[in-house]
Amino acid sequence: MNLTRKSRLLVIALALVIIIALVLSSCTGTQTVPRGWAGPAPGDGNLFVASMGGKLVALNAVTRERLYQDVPFTTRQAGGGLSCGPTTVAVAIYGTPVVTSELVYISGYNGKLYANNVKTGASRWVYPREGEMKPIVGGATVALGKVFFGSADGKLHALDAATGDFQWEFKTGDKIWSTPNVAGDTVYLGSFDKKLYAINADTGAKKWDFTTLGAIAASALVTDGTVYIGSFDRYLYALNAGDGSLKWQFMASNWFWAKPLADKGIVYAPSLDGKVYAFKAGSGEKVTEFDLGSPISSSPVLVGGVVIAATEKGELYSLDAGANQKRLIVQLNENINSPLAVSADGIIYVHSVKDNLFAVEARSGAILWNLPLKS
Amino acid sequence: MNFGDIWNLAILSPMINVLIVMSKYLLNNFGLAIIALTIVIRLATLPLNVKQASATKAMQELQPKLAELQKKYGRADRAKLAQEQMKLYKGSGVNPAGCMVPMLIQMPIWIALFQSIVRVLAVVPEDFLSLSKHLYSSWSMVFSAVPLGSSFLWLDLAVPDRFLVLPLLVGGTMWVQQKMVTPATVDPRQQAQSQMMLWMMPLMFAFLTLQFPSGLALYWVVSNVISVVIQYYVSGWGGLKSTPKTSSKKHFHLASRAEEKPAEGGEAEPESTAATPAPQIELPKKRGLLDFQPWRDRGQKKKK
Repeated sequence: MNLTRKSRLLVIALALVIIIALVLSSCTGTQTVPRGWAGPAPGDGNLFVASMGGKLVALNAVTRERLYQDVPFTTRQAGGGLSCGPTTVAVAIYGTPVVTSELVYISGYNGKLYANNVKTGASRWVYPREGEMKPIVGGATVALGKVFFGSADGKLHALDAATGDFQWEFKTGDKIWSTPNVAGDTVYLGSFDKKLYAINADTGAKKWDFTTLGAIAASALVTDGTVYIGSFDRYLYALNAGDGSLKWQFMASNWFWAKPLADKGIVYAPSLDGKVYAFKAGSGEKVTEFDLGSPISSSPVLVGGVVIAATEKGELYSLDAGANQKRLIVQLNENINSPLAVSADGIIYVHSVKDNLFAVEARSGAILWNLPLKS
Repeated sequence: MNFGDIWNLAILSPMINVLIVMSKYLLNNFGLAIIALTIVIRLATLPLNVKQASATKAMQELQPKLAELQKKYGRADRAKLAQEQMKLYKGSGVNPAGCMVPMLIQMPIWIALFQSIVRVLAVVPEDFLSLSKHLYSSWSMVFSAVPLGSSFLWLDLAVPDRFLVLPLLVGGTMWVQQKMVTPATVDPRQQAQSQMMLWMMPLMFAFLTLQFPSGLALYWVVSNVISVVIQYYVSGWGGLKSTPKTSSKKHFHLASRAEEKPAEGGEAEPESTAATPAPQIELPKKRGLLDFQPWRDRGQKKKK
């Protein structure tokens, strides 16, 4: 065999190796895999959380015993490249489960809303019954006998909370990633089309909208006739809940992603610039700001009159705007994107990016337990 | 500061912010922003690309001398041949591996562009959330401009092209570019390397296009077209020049026969065995279908 033939064979062999490698690697895809960041939902001494493996985990909040076997949610995903057919993968879940006396609602990134029996985990209904919608990133809200949720198709959907039957839908101009908030007979919802909408919960008719300069992924806080909403234009807006007129606004250094919190006339607004801003609810006058040193995408909670906020780096702080004090209560050493949850007895539950569930005593900062959700 | 921080600071964050601003000023069209960015990057690296194109041309011009060396030393003294070839390259200021340099320089740009696309288009919530860390706080418009729209022509720039047009465009334009810069060489090993580059790179990138977001493939297509234009202005069509159709078949037969001869053990003189008007063409000793390079033959014809 002469050199030219050898070289040619080498070229052909190399070509085959590269093509096979490429075809095989196309199975794995090149995109980041969505994993979810659902927060825990306490209820009746139990805890419900969606793991990053796409499972509903229901457990006793004290003993950590499972109430029933973890409930998996899966979807068929088209294969990447030329080599792979559809595969079954776990559903990423970003919205915090909503727990009622009968059902637990799970919103899936595969564009389905699941309603399961809260006591057994058995499926009660799924919406839509056939096919899938665009991804659901925000959570669901249950009120007035309906369940409301938005999806990346830009629609706010309203279903019968018990049966999952379609009630109405409202179309916005872009994706919806925020969780709807219901106050009175109105649903408040932000959209990537840069608008905050106030929609009649019974009919789905628009009452008013307010246009910001950026997309809205945060959920609105509605309290005392005022709607507080943060936007990607870095502003926090305080709007009149009745007509959407602007009361005041404040600009931070980065996006507002997490839902604000109000206590004793003070509004606490966490921002991705690493600060929690505190304002007088009526006037918008800034009371103080707490620099926590790391972006805050996790919605804070109120425990015994103290605001608890978590940073992306996994630090939990207690904040008191009245006394202008912040205190590091615990460092979890795991990143946090999920909203915090708190039980009636002052235990904070944190779902970390590493898919571990922590129970932390708010007062002392002691980690009561840490449960890996990976199965 | 670790490598990730340096990467973000020096490459990823600037690219993200520039892309957002460009998109804003280009009719809020992210596809146009990618095209504009490609042109800017290629303009910035123009001296390097022109130098590389010139080197390719010089390499092609060296071929007669390389052929002489091959004839002189042949298989008898491989070491001496290599030594003389290197001397020739050095004396002419040509670096045979120089063609890889622009590609190596572009690799960080591809990676950063891929990372930018998945972030600014809000493909996956985790990526989009991390975008906020890359935005320049003094550029207020970048905060409110995202997420960018992902539609461009028939494409969703966030996902691979479902209609397979982009893989064909990427592979095709890359093949043309490679063909233009493939030097006509008589060294069988170099021929093999050239053929590998000519076919492997387009095939590989066509496959990559099936997996990566269309936005990145759009960059590759535009970048390839610019390379072709630069190469054309420096050295003409180069290896893309084809022999007139009427004679191409005859040349092919000639090459095939030329390949058969040495297999019998003798020193081939293919021009004397051909019953066509091409006997005066000096062909390499071992050539096959993949090695057929008509533009070289035509160049030699002209000389005579």
